[in-house]
Amino acid sequence: MKFQIDKDVFQDALNQVQHVVSSRTTLPILSNVLIEADELGLQLSTTDLDVTITVRVPADVSTTGATTMPARRLASIVRELPTSEIKIEVNEDNAATVRSGPSFFKILGLPNSEFPVIGEFGDAKEFTIDQKLLKDALRKTAYAISTDETRYVLNGVNCIIGEGMLTLVATDGRRLAMVEQDLEFPAGNESAVIIPTKAVNELQRLLNDSGEMKVSLTNNQASFELNDSHLITKLIEGNYPNFRQVIPGEAKYRVTVEREVLHSAVKRVALLVNEKTNSIKFTFADNQVAISANSPEIGEAEESIDVKYDGPKIVVAFNPEFVMAPLRNLDQDEVYIDLIDESSPGVLKIDEPFLYVIMPMRVAG
Amino acid sequence: MLKLSELRFLVDPFPVPLCEPVPFTNTIPQPTPFFPSMHNTYPLNVENFLSCQQLTTLWKQVSEDLRADLGDPLYDRWFADFLLSSVDSDGVVLSAPGSMYAIWVEENFKESVISTFRKYLSKCDKFRVSVKAPTEEELLAEPVVAIEEISGKGKILSETISASKLLERGLAAGLVENFRFDNFVAGDNCELALAAAKAVADDPGRTYQPLYFNSACGLGKTHLLNAIGWESLRQRPKSKIISVTAEQFANNYIDAIQNNSLAAFRKRYREADLLIIDDVQFLGRKEGLQREFFHTFNRLNDQRKQVVLASDCPASEINSLEDRLVSRFQSGLSAEIHRPGLETRAAILRRKRDDWDMKVSDDLINAIVERVKGNVRVLEGALIRVAMVATMNEEDLTTAHVHEVIADICDLQEGRQLDAEEIKRAVSEQYDVSVSLINGKKRTARVAEARQVAMFLCRQLTELSLVEVAACFAKDHGTVIYAVKKVKKRSEDSASFKSTVELIKRRLVRGGGIQNPRGNDSVVPENDQFSSFRKYSPKGK
Repeated sequence: MKFQIDKDVFQDALNQVQHVVSSRTTLPILSNVLIEADELGLQLSTTDLDVTITVRVPADVSTTGATTMPARRLASIVRELPTSEIKIEVNEDNAATVRSGPSFFKILGLPNSEFPVIGEFGDAKEFTIDQKLLKDALRKTAYAISTDETRYVLNGVNCIIGEGMLTLVATDGRRLAMVEQDLEFPAGNESAVIIPTKAVNELQRLLNDSGEMKVSLTNNQASFELNDSHLITKLIEGNYPNFRQVIPGEAKYRVTVEREVLHSAVKRVALLVNEKTNSIKFTFADNQVAISANSPEIGEAEESIDVKYDGPKIVVAFNPEFVMAPLRNLDQDEVYIDLIDESSPGVLKIDEPFLYVIMPMRVAG
Repeated sequence: MLKLSELRFLVDPFPVPLCEPVPFTNTIPQPTPFFPSMHNTYPLNVENFLSCQQLTTLWKQVSEDLRADLGDPLYDRWFADFLLSSVDSDGVVLSAPGSMYAIWVEENFKESVISTFRKYLSKCDKFRVSVKAPTEEELLAEPVVAIEEISGKGKILSETISASKLLERGLAAGLVENFRFDNFVAGDNCELALAAAKAVADDPGRTYQPLYFNSACGLGKTHLLNAIGWESLRQRPKSKIISVTAEQFANNYIDAIQNNSLAAFRKRYREADLLIIDDVQFLGRKEGLQREFFHTFNRLNDQRKQVVLASDCPASEINSLEDRLVSRFQSGLSAEIHRPGLETRAAILRRKRDDWDMKVSDDLINAIVERVKGNVRVLEGALIRVAMVATMNEEDLTTAHVHEVIADICDLQEGRQLDAEEIKRAVSEQYDVSVSLINGKKRTARVAEARQVAMFLCRQLTELSLVEVAACFAKDHGTVIYAVKKVKKRSEDSASFKSTVELIKRRLVRGGGIQNPRGNDSVVPENDQFSSFRKYSPKGK
C-alpha cells in the first residue's frame, strides 16, 4: 500500500476517529486505526467494539491495500510533521514508513485482518434528519447524562421517535434535561433507543451546523451517516425509566431572567460554595433574585440580579453546577424558571421546546 | 426509718399492694412472644429476620417521621406509594411505583431516609429502591417450599420465544434440560444462593459479578447454574450464553492449541453475555489454563458481562489457584449452599416423588429424610429404593421397614469415619507428594512434613491410638508423638503452615473437597441393593 496525502486533511481525519480509541484496552488491535486505501482515497476506521467511526478522506493512492497503525501515535506524529506533503508506504509485514520533507518514521502496525468487523445492519429503520437539529438537541441534553455506572440505562441519551416528535432525554436522578422537537417521520418508524455517552460525544464532534444525515436504527445498534463520516454504535439495552413522572405539573410562579447574567452571577457566587452541602441559595422576591453562598470555614458571597418576578418570596437552594450546566449549553438570551414552592422541583425553560427539571436541595435551618 | 414497703414505693412506680407478700425474685412469667413482631422494641436488630408485619409497622413509623421531616407536599409527591420491602444487614429496600421514582428518591432523599431508619434499626448504612412488588421478596424469605412461578415480569424489551426454540438454544449453550428455577426446591439452606441466582438471571452483569457458588457435592450448585442460564435465556433470547464445566473449558482450550484455533476459542468465550462455569476447582494447578481463564474473565468483566462459577470449596481454598484469580472470584458474591434441613429434604423428596409419579406416602418420605441426611443424590437413591420395594410388595410399607430398606445408605453416611488412608490422600494432594512416598522411608523435607501432617491429622480426626497410627505409617509410636508435637509447634510459629493444615482438615471434615472413593457413596452397588431387598422381602411375605 502506498499513498500521498495532505497533512491537514490527514490530521483532521485522524482527529475525528482517534477519540474512540481507548488508552487502555485488552486487545492491542483496538488501539489501532484501520487504513484502507482504494482508488478514491483513504478510509480510516477506529472502534472500541461499542462505537465505530469511519471517515473518508481524499488521497493520492498509488498502490491500494489495507493495514492498521497505532492511532494515537500516528496522530501525534502527523501533527508534528514539518511539511504539508506526507508519503506513506506500508510493506507486507505491516511496517509503515512515513516521509515528510526531511523526516522519516517507521511505524510497526498490525494486519488489517485482525481488525474487528462491524456487524451488518439487518432490517433497520432508516430516515434522514437535519444535522443541526440533532446537534442542538444533543447539546441541550447530553450534560445531564448520569455517570453512575450502576444505573447503566441512564448512561446515555434516551431518544424517542414517535407521535410526530423527536424526544431526547437525559437524567442522573437529580436533574433531567429534555428536548421535544416536532418532526415529521414516515409512519412505522416509531422507536425508542438509548444512545450511550461515548457515541453522543463522538456524534457531537462529527455533526455540522448544516446538511442532513442518515440515521438507521435496529434494536441494538444505531448508525449515523453524515458528511464523509459514518458512526455505528451499540445501544444501551434496557428500559429507560418513565421520566415524565418527575416533571412537575403546572407551575405557580415564573421567573424571567437573562441567561448570561444569571450564569455569570452563579459562577461567581459558586466560588464560595459550601463544600458540605454543595448548594447555593436563591431568594426570589420583588423582581430580584439574590444568589448567596455561605461556607462556614471560608466565607460568604452574595449577588443580586434583576429579574421579572412578582410572586411571593421563595427561597430555594440548588447545586450551582446543576444550574450552570444548562445555562452554558443554551444560546437563548432569556430563560424562565418555573417554581411551585420551596421543596418542589424547579423547571428551567426557554422559548423553544426544552425543559430542565432540577431538584432543590434542602435548606438547613 | 423507712419501712421496706415504703422503700419499694420509692423505686417502684407501680407498688404491689402492701397486703400482698413481696416476692423475692421476679416470678411473674413474662408473656412469651408468639410472634416477635408483636413486640416492637426499637431499635430492631437487622441481623434478625423481620416478619411482614414488623415491616409494615416499621414503615408506618418511618413514613410518619419522613412526612414530618420533609413536609406534606414533598412527601406526597415522592413517597406516597412507597412500601418497605425488606430490611437486613445489607440495608433497607423500599419499593417504588415506578423506576423513575426509584432513581429520583435514591438520589435526592438518601440522607433523610437513612437517618430516619437509623432511629428504628440497629444498623442502617445503605438503602435501595426497587420497582418490584414486595411480595416477591417475601416469597424468597419464606422458609417453606416456595416453588417460584416464572412470571413474565412485564419487561417491555423482552422478546417472546417459543418453548421449543428456547430448549434448542439452551441445549446448544450447554444447559441441562431439567434444571430450572421452577423445579428447584428452595429451603433455608440456600436462600442467599437462590436469591442471588435469580437476581443474576434477571439482570446479568449488573448485580453480582461474578457470582460464585460453593457447596459440597449434590446440594444443587449445578441446578442453580443451569437455572440461571435458562431464565436468562428466556428473558433475553438473543443473549449469548455458554455453560461448560471447567474441564470442558480446558479441553476446548487444548483443542484450540492443537488446531491452531486459539483466536476462535477466545472469540467464542470472550463474546459471551453469560458465562457459566461449573467445577472451577478443576482450574487448580493448571497454570496455562488459569492464565487463559484470567484473560477471558477480565474481558467479560470489563464489558460488564456476567460470569457465574461453582466449585466444591471457597475460592481461597482451591488448590494452587493464582491469587489474582482468587481475588477476582471473591470480588462478586460468594454464596454457599448448606446441607438442607429436615423440612427441605422432605420437600425435595415430595417433589421428586410427584415428578417421577411414585407411590410413596408422606410418612415414608419423612422416615427417609430422618435417616438420610445431606446430599440430594443419596436422598433420591433412597427414595428410588423405597419406591421399588413398595411396588414389589403388595403390603404397605411401614416406616420401620423403610429404615431397614435404606439401612445401608444410612450406615454409609453416619458411619462415615475418616480413616488414615483418606487423610494420607488429602495430605498427598495438598503437598503434591504421592501416598507411597508418605508411606515410604524417604525423608526429604517436603515428604517428611507431609508425613508429619498426616500423622497429626490422624491423631486429631480419627479415634486411632498412637500405636495404630504408627502402624498405618509403618513407624513406631515415638515418631508419631514427635510428629504431633512438631506440627503443633510449627502451627504456632508459621501462620501459613497453620492455614495449610487447617485447609486440609476442613476439606476432610467436609468430605467434598477431595476426590475420595467414598465420594461415590451415592451409587449403591448393584448387589447391595439386591441383598437389602432380599433381606426385606421374607418379612413382607
